Amino acid sequence: MIRAHSKSVDDTRALAGELAMFAKPGDVILLSGDLGAGKTAFAQGFGRALGIDEPITSPTFTLMRQYDDARVPLLHVDVYRLDRMQEVVELGLPEMLDAGMVALVEWGDVVAPVLPADFLHVDLDFGDGDDERAVRLRSVGASWSARMNAIGRALERWTV
Amino acid sequence: MLILGIETATLQAGCAIGGHEGVLAEFHVSRGRRHAEVLAPAIEFTCRQALIELKEIGAIAVDIGPGLFTGLRVGVATAKAMAQALRVPMIGVSSLDLLAFPVRHTSKLIVAAIDARRSELFYAFYRQVPGGVQRQSGYQVGTADDLASELLATGHESLLVGDGAHRYAGTLGEVGGIEFGDAGFAYPSASALVELAHARALREEFVPTWELEPFYLRKADAEINWERRDAAEAS
Repeated sequence: MIRAHSKSVDDTRALAGELAMFAKPGDVILLSGDLGAGKTAFAQGFGRALGIDEPITSPTFTLMRQYDDARVPLLHVDVYRLDRMQEVVELGLPEMLDAGMVALVEWGDVVAPVLPADFLHVDLDFGDGDDERAVRLRSVGASWSARMNAIGRALERWTV
Repeated sequence: MLILGIETATLQAGCAIGGHEGVLAEFHVSRGRRHAEVLAPAIEFTCRQALIELKEIGAIAVDIGPGLFTGLRVGVATAKAMAQALRVPMIGVSSLDLLAFPVRHTSKLIVAAIDARRSELFYAFYRQVPGGVQRQSGYQVGTADDLASELLATGHESLLVGDGAHRYAGTLGEVGGIEFGDAGFAYPSASALVELAHARALREEFVPTWELEPFYLRKADAEINWERRDAAEAS
């Protein structure tokens, strides 16, 4: 597990951008954190670093947004409005990962049982100051675990 | 009665129009993976070239899967919207039935297998019967090894069709007595859909628009545990 500290929304974007350098086709990143914790800011920093120029907006109402024009095409998912695991299955994430995308899944931790078993879980929690956030990165499965040391080094200026 | 068939269950997207005269026009594309962008223009083009106006269409047939979720939802949503707008009934046909039908003139056991991604296949077994094929098994999902052991257990000469059969030809080919269908039979065809749907239309086996559902063959029955969301919304 990597523990990091973000000083502001922009700092969260920068951290996410650093993490995006490690993204490969087929990767899954689960994002958790209460409303306002910075999940969308994280996605924006992550997407920008993948080379996405168009604005990255919350997919809460569309469930899923796809950004093809990027170093690795990004699938930005939000399961907040779903109530049944079957609805998550019907999004068809595995076949989109198979097609070479990287998936960023907001609130993904609660639906982990029906997602691919190899993922990085990024949790954002409120910190002491209004804009500060505690960020925790936890890998599940071999693919992300093998990258954790390198990620820790890349995120050095945020780690606590 | 003219039937419009919509088929988007795999990498291929397509449509066909036909009726008692057989299939009048057909369109397929299997590159690009742009079902949402391709389907409506394809229907428009196909109708226009066959000199058919939408109001002449008496039923909408659609491939309900199993297959790729990204394709199926485009096809099923388009088919439902058109059926509702034209006020015509629907007919849903399984993708695996559509794969088996064009190779019905064989005495071998027909195995239709679609690539389900992540090392899995959707598959079913069929036998030739007068005028078509009859399914001999349930619709199943499993690995190439699962299918190979089932084939070994049947001990029959078999003909394998579908993109799943081709993708796992190495594993499946180790079972004896197996023949693979041509690449032309790799994807379900919209013309097979129209032919099968026409037979059902003659028997008036229609489904109301609101009852037609895609057949995903992947089940997860649990509710999502939303304690945190509900707590956040309550506060």
